[in-house]
This record gives sequence, C-alpha cells and structure tokens, in this order.
Amino acid sequence: MSSGRRPERSTTRAAASARGLNYASSPLLASRTPASRSKLLVAMVGLGFLVLLGRAVYVQAIGTDFYQKQGEIRYARTLDLSASRGRILDRNGQLMAASVPAPSLWAIPKDFKADPSERARLARLLGMSPAQLEDRLDGSANFVWLRRQVDDTLAKDVLSLGLPGIHQVREFRRQYPEGEAAAHVVGFTNIEDRGQEGIELAFQKDLVGRNGSRRVIKDRIGRVVEDIGDSVAAVDGRDIQLSIDSKLQYFAYRRLRDAVMENKAKAGSVVVLDAQSGEVLALANYPSYAPSDRRNLSGNQLRNRALTDTFEPGSTVKPLIAAWALETGRVKPDTVIHTAPGRMSLGPFTVRDTHPHGDMTVSEVIQKSSNIGAIRMGLMFQPREMWDLYASVGFGQKPQIGFPGVVGGRLKSQKQLDEITRATMSYGYGLSASLFQIAHAYTVFAHDGEYIPVTMMKSDSPEGAAKVGGVRVISPQTAQTMRQMLSLAAGPGGTAPKAQTPGYSVGGKSGTAYAHAGKGYDTKKYRSWFVGLSPIKDPRIIVAVMVDEPTAGKWYGGEVAAPVFSDLVQHTLRMLGVPPDLDVKTQIVARNAPAEDESF
Amino acid sequence: MTRLNLLLLLALLASSVYLVRVSYDERRLYAALDRARTEQRQLETEHGRLQAEQQAQATPARIDKTARDKLLMVPATSAIMKQVVVSAAPTASQGRP
Repeated sequence: MSSGRRPERSTTRAAASARGLNYASSPLLASRTPASRSKLLVAMVGLGFLVLLGRAVYVQAIGTDFYQKQGEIRYARTLDLSASRGRILDRNGQLMAASVPAPSLWAIPKDFKADPSERARLARLLGMSPAQLEDRLDGSANFVWLRRQVDDTLAKDVLSLGLPGIHQVREFRRQYPEGEAAAHVVGFTNIEDRGQEGIELAFQKDLVGRNGSRRVIKDRIGRVVEDIGDSVAAVDGRDIQLSIDSKLQYFAYRRLRDAVMENKAKAGSVVVLDAQSGEVLALANYPSYAPSDRRNLSGNQLRNRALTDTFEPGSTVKPLIAAWALETGRVKPDTVIHTAPGRMSLGPFTVRDTHPHGDMTVSEVIQKSSNIGAIRMGLMFQPREMWDLYASVGFGQKPQIGFPGVVGGRLKSQKQLDEITRATMSYGYGLSASLFQIAHAYTVFAHDGEYIPVTMMKSDSPEGAAKVGGVRVISPQTAQTMRQMLSLAAGPGGTAPKAQTPGYSVGGKSGTAYAHAGKGYDTKKYRSWFVGLSPIKDPRIIVAVMVDEPTAGKWYGGEVAAPVFSDLVQHTLRMLGVPPDLDVKTQIVARNAPAEDESF
Repeated sequence: MTRLNLLLLLALLASSVYLVRVSYDERRLYAALDRARTEQRQLETEHGRLQAEQQAQATPARIDKTARDKLLMVPATSAIMKQVVVSAAPTASQGRP
C-alpha cells in the first residue's frame, strides 16, 4: 500500500526541485531491514573501534618497552669507544713505550674471490707465499686473520686491491723507542695489548684505561645523526713516568755490554740509584732483547738479572760489619785487628786471605778486603745483632718497588746463626741478595746512616727538594767514617783503584766469588761486582755493577766491574750537573795504581 | 573566530614544516660534528705515532751510532779534559772537553 504511494510522491518531489534529489525518499533506499540489524552493525563498528583502542593502549602503554626496543634495534647502534693505553715516559718525559695504530687484516674466506694473479699479489703484500695464503684461507669459512698489526700503509695497499671478503680492524701496537737498552725495565705487551713483563705488567691496571660506549642513531648510509641515552666516555690509560733517565739508561747498557764482551763474560747487570731521593736512574742487564721483535727469545735474555738473580754478596757486606762494630763502639777506625797468619779454621772449612797481612787497622781491613779481619769483627756480635743488621738493610726481603719477579734473596733465621754461620756471614757468605738489594743496602752509607726506600717512579717533589727520609741504621758520623774507608778501598792500595774517575771522589767495595755449581762452587768460574758511591762528602749516586763469568783472564771485581763503575759515575754526575770535587789531573795518575788482590 | 583559527592553523603548519627542517639540519650538522670528532681522534693518534717516530729517530742509541760512525766522535776521556773553575758561578765549574 504504502509502496504504491511512494513513486508518485517521488516524481512530484523530483519535479518540484530539479537540483536536489531526495535520496531519503528514494524507493531504492527504502529499508525494510529491521532496526536490530542496524543496531548490530553499529555495535560491530563500535566493537571494531574498541579493539583498535585496546590495541592502541596495549602498544602505547602496556607493551611499549618491547616496541620501543624493537624500534631501536632497527636504527640505534652501540659504538665502542676504545681507551688508548697509557704511555711510559722517562724522568724527562722521553717516550719509553707508546701505542701506535696498527690495523689488523682479516678475511671471510667464503666471501673471498680473487683470480690467481690477484692472490699472488695479496700474498706478496702480506709477506707469505701463495700456498701459505691458501692454507690460511682454508682454515675457516667465516673468519681468519690474514696478518695482525701491520703498518698503516700496508693495510691501505691491501685494501686498495679491492678484493671482496677482506676487512681491517683498528688495533694498536706498542712501540719501544729505547729498544733493548730499556727492555728489562719497560717490558712489553702481548698482541692483545696486555702487559707481560716489566712496567707494562706491573702497571697494567693503570696503563690500560677503561673502554667507553655510546648509543647513537645511525641513518641508512651509516652516519651518526643523533646521540641517544647514556654514553660512557672512554677513560684513557694513565701515563707512567719512571725515575729512569733514558740517556743514562742507554749509556749504562752500552757500557755494560762493552764490559761483558771485553771480558768474554756470560752476562752482567748495572744499577744506578739516586742516593738522595732513592730513585732508580738506570737499571740495565745484558744480554737483552729488542721488545719489538720477540721471536726466539730465551729466558737468558728475558731475565732481569739485577732484580731476579741472587748471589752471595761476599766482600760487599764487610763495610756493613765494620759499620756496626764502629757504631756499637767495639772498634775505632784505627783499632788493630790480628789477621795473621791469613787463614782461619771454621769447623771443617778454612778461610783464607789472598795475601796474609798480619796486623791491620779496621780501615785497612776494608781497604784490603780481609776475610779474617771481617770475621774477627763479625764474631763480636750477638746472633740477634747480626740478623738485625742484615735485615735492617733489606737482606732477605723483597725490595718494595712494585716490579714483577723481584726476589728477596736468603737470610737465615736468628736461630740458625751459630758461630760458624756468623763467621761466614761476616764476609758475605751464607746469605744471598740481588745486585739491586746490595745497591739499596749501600744507601745506609750514602744517605748518612739511613736506609731509604727506593722507587722506579719519578718523585713528585721538585728538583732539589729535601732528601727523603729513611730508617736510621747507623749514625751520620759512622756513615761518614765508612765513606772514608770505602774511598780508601777504591784508592791506591785498595782492591779497586780502577773505580776512580777524573774529577769526582769515589768510594766502594768490590766483590768476587766463585760461581755456584751444584752444591758447591766452580773454582774456574767467577762472578765479579762492585758497589760504590760518589762524591764521598755528600753522595749523589750509588752505582752497582756485576759481571757474570768473565773468562778473558781478569776476574777480580776491582778489575772487571770497577772500570764500568768509574765510567758510569763520571757520566752520571756530569749529567746531573754535580760540580767536580777533585782536581782533574791528580786523579789521572792515581788511576793507574796497581790493585790489591782481593780475598774472596 | 574562524579567521583566527585559520591563522593559527597556518602558523601551526609553518611551524611544523620548520620543525622538520630544523631537525633535518640538526641531524646533518650532528653527522658533520661526529665526522669531525672522528677525524680529530685520527689526527691525535697520528700525532702520537709521529711523536713516537720522531723519538725513535732521536734515541741515545741512534745518536751514539751516528756520532761514532758518521761524525767520528769519541767519548771524552781524562786525557782531553780540562777543568775550568769559574768562581762566580759554581755550577759552571764542571770539567769540559
């Protein structure tokens, strides 16, 4: 019924307004659908929106962390900031070790494609034969090192070949400008830049620094466009400034090498200490090695003998015995001691002086290095006294210099110090010490009776600052008296006149011993050393020299080691700007005086 | 009211376009800054390397060898040493060849 009416109405409406078409009344749109259907539709659409809203809430509020992270993975990168290893400097700021860039070349063998001529060129650049290169590439499908830590230019040459699958990674290599002269002090690092020896090992923690990182956004072509989040700055390793003087170190090494070669010896060591500040100015050993080329290294070359090799200090401890006898008032420098007939029985052993001297003053005992004289003084002490004396100058304890491989030598316990032991210890046997320890012990004489701490680090106090303090062992007067005796030992009529040097007064004590062989001594092999100080009045330096197994006909410490001492004192004091305390000419004559054969 | 709204809409659009431009500039400049920093680091490393090389050329070992071999110099010995004492300046009174 109604449908019958509608067309009529529509036609009339259409006619009434030609412009407008009333869709609402279009019969085509006349809905006969029930209201429930449209409601369902509305509900469905509404539900759809609700789902979308729920999803939005989930993405924006609940699962936001996950989505944020996923997004970041797609554009954010974490860059490692590598800290560079600290440098090692000498006391004047000269480089002793520094890191230089040395890229490492690596390859992905499965990506690597090259024709034979290119392969040959690559092999030649890498310094290997084509067969070796093939071998290396066959090693793994995903990663092989081609060559590590090469020069910058070589890396550029290799990469400019444009072969696929070859990459480089930035690495650093240690360079040691001082080479073999300072090798034992500075040490070296391995290919992973970790310290293996010497200062490089001792100060690994300080030198290495801390790597940092930063989060950045990178664009499609890999440029950093924004920093995001927290970045941790890289902390570069600390520079280590040593007390070593590189010029002096080289001179010491060279002079020692010459002496070892001249005497056809097996090895040698030198220690130069600043007697006022306790700083180590030079410490050299021969044989040494080039730290940059460590192939076929032997333990013989690697050993830092001055710190790791101990031996019986022999005659060099006699001044300590005399000093204590003086200090306790048991003797005076001119007290006469009977050493005749130049030999003495100690249980099953007999101790001899090289020449029987008869009656000698304490000064002469030191000057001529009489074993019997030293024993007579040593036997005046209680066991505890002797032990305290040796322990107070560092025997039997590791020197506190923070260096790897340092040894403390051997000092028997107080209970073991029976009469025979005390007698042997009086002339330097039955205990052992390194050359460094002996030099250190002599700070007692050089530093007016105080045993001062020694260091390998440059002291912070400005030049010419007050002397460092130490532990008092003997009085300044005794120390001064002992220095006079030491200067006699290094003078005409002493055991080491060759220790003298033009311009500067010197004092010191030579030592000579048979080399150890099994349980006893090898009487054909010797060890010769000399420890002394200069200038006598106010010592600036202590120099200790040791030459192991000289075989060229000379073996006394005064013949083999003293000339090295002489040259080192001359050179060091001149470099330190110490004015000469002697007239130059008078010394040239005295230097050629014949040496007294020393007892050992 | 409508006019004000239109004006604000225009301002908003302009500001949005400007924001896009500024953030683009920022990223571009940041990339340049980052490149410059990388270059700085590289130059620092290079400087360190050159310093090490310079010192390697001036080590006592090399100077000693050159002095002996090329310049035919010898260490000063007491035979060729003369001591000069200048009383006014005690530090200058060292024995010199």
